[in-house]
Amino acid sequence: MLPGDHQKFEQQHTPTFFARGLSPLTRLAFFTSLSLALMITDSHLQYLNNVRERLMALLYPLQVVANAPYSLYRATDEYFSTHHRLLRENETLRTKNLQQQVVLQKLGALTLENATLRNLLQLNQSLAENSVIGEILHVGRDPFSKKIVVNRGTNHRIVAGAAVVDAAGVIGQVTRVFPSTSEVTLITDKTLAIPIQIERNGLRTIAFGHGRDGTIDLPYLPANVDVRRGDKLVTSGIDSVYPIGLAIASVSDIKVTPNSPFARIVCQPIGRVEYNRQVLLVSQPPPPADMPVVSDEIAEGESATVKSAQALPEKKALPKTTHPRSARPTHG
Amino acid sequence: MAKSSLYSVYLTIMVAFLCILLPWSGYGLKLRPDFVLLLLIFWMLRAPHLCNIGTAWFVGLWMDLATGGVFGQYALAYTITAFIAIMYQRRLALFNATQQLLYVLMLLVIAQLILLILKTFSGVEVDGWSFFLPSITGVMLWQLAVALGLKTSVHSRT
Repeated sequence: MLPGDHQKFEQQHTPTFFARGLSPLTRLAFFTSLSLALMITDSHLQYLNNVRERLMALLYPLQVVANAPYSLYRATDEYFSTHHRLLRENETLRTKNLQQQVVLQKLGALTLENATLRNLLQLNQSLAENSVIGEILHVGRDPFSKKIVVNRGTNHRIVAGAAVVDAAGVIGQVTRVFPSTSEVTLITDKTLAIPIQIERNGLRTIAFGHGRDGTIDLPYLPANVDVRRGDKLVTSGIDSVYPIGLAIASVSDIKVTPNSPFARIVCQPIGRVEYNRQVLLVSQPPPPADMPVVSDEIAEGESATVKSAQALPEKKALPKTTHPRSARPTHG
Repeated sequence: MAKSSLYSVYLTIMVAFLCILLPWSGYGLKLRPDFVLLLLIFWMLRAPHLCNIGTAWFVGLWMDLATGGVFGQYALAYTITAFIAIMYQRRLALFNATQQLLYVLMLLVIAQLILLILKTFSGVEVDGWSFFLPSITGVMLWQLAVALGLKTSVHSRT
């Protein structure tokens, strides 16, 4: 009798995890400091990246469930698409294919020519990039930043930093990779900068996303810079993140105000940043150890070509594996 | 009145979290109410012994994960909002329906304000007043739930 009573008494007073023991103020202080510590750790140190990856893997099934209604809708929509529409689509695709085949034939010849020329100049071969096609799972849930989530991740050998491209041009860059998804920051996001070149005159600069209205800025250019409306911006490839020559944006407006030494240049992205579902993730292979040699050779390009005009026969005779640096003295 | 158990608390919050995970875009994203916070407030007003500041913090962490931001932002915002909600939880019995609604609106706006401050520190721009639209839609959703017969508080029987 007594033990039973005792047990009852104890049961009533067993503190549970969320008992009303601690005052709200204590809890507030505890959890606030915990959050602040987490924020500082996450933004300044790299410890939490692994944890985030693991947790994202846990979240993935939930994501699939949440996406299920929409994908079901799309699947049914596709299933019931009319015969006529399919035929028409087929027609346009066939025409497009034909047009692109012609361009591709030229491209083959050009690639070959380029390779030969590079060989002649003993430049490093431009590296073939590998690309994976991915589908956008959803746009970022944070209305503050312009991000999308794509259904390809480390399982598909995506690395952080890969360029994300659609049919028309660059739309962003992979900023975080998880096992089966990856987070892409769009080029219109404020935090993303891309080294670019203006196609018309080869001017190199850096483009920044504007953040709010889906445009791209070219800051730090003087008021008298040679940029015109309609100029096309392409990737310069200098950072060895983006392949060379991908279209990014076209200049839509140039404002010069007397009170600023800089021109305000607004560009519209060419890629359909907010529309497509399929994107291509293009990752550059890591640059080889002798990468700096390339820029060296290019800087020397003018004089080197003159010299190599005579030196060509000997250079051709050199074994293919010769390191450019070691080959230098022969024409120095 | 349906009984509130720990199980039902977590199950409903899970469903709200799934609603956040739905593929929102465009205007939908701008108008999307914070389902998770709404449910947290609901449970904190109704069953504070089951859903407290700790729960809010934990759920906030998952929101941080889902939105892809820095860890701790949503957690901090939810923690502070939960604190205010808990502090005034007992006084809620004295509130009439309109006052209750304003109270919920205030909580939602506070959560958004904290998030705004934290995000501004990390250098993000916000496009004007439309930023607070989720609070408005959230309170509308709350009103809808009340109109459909949801008892929002243990005490209020008016």
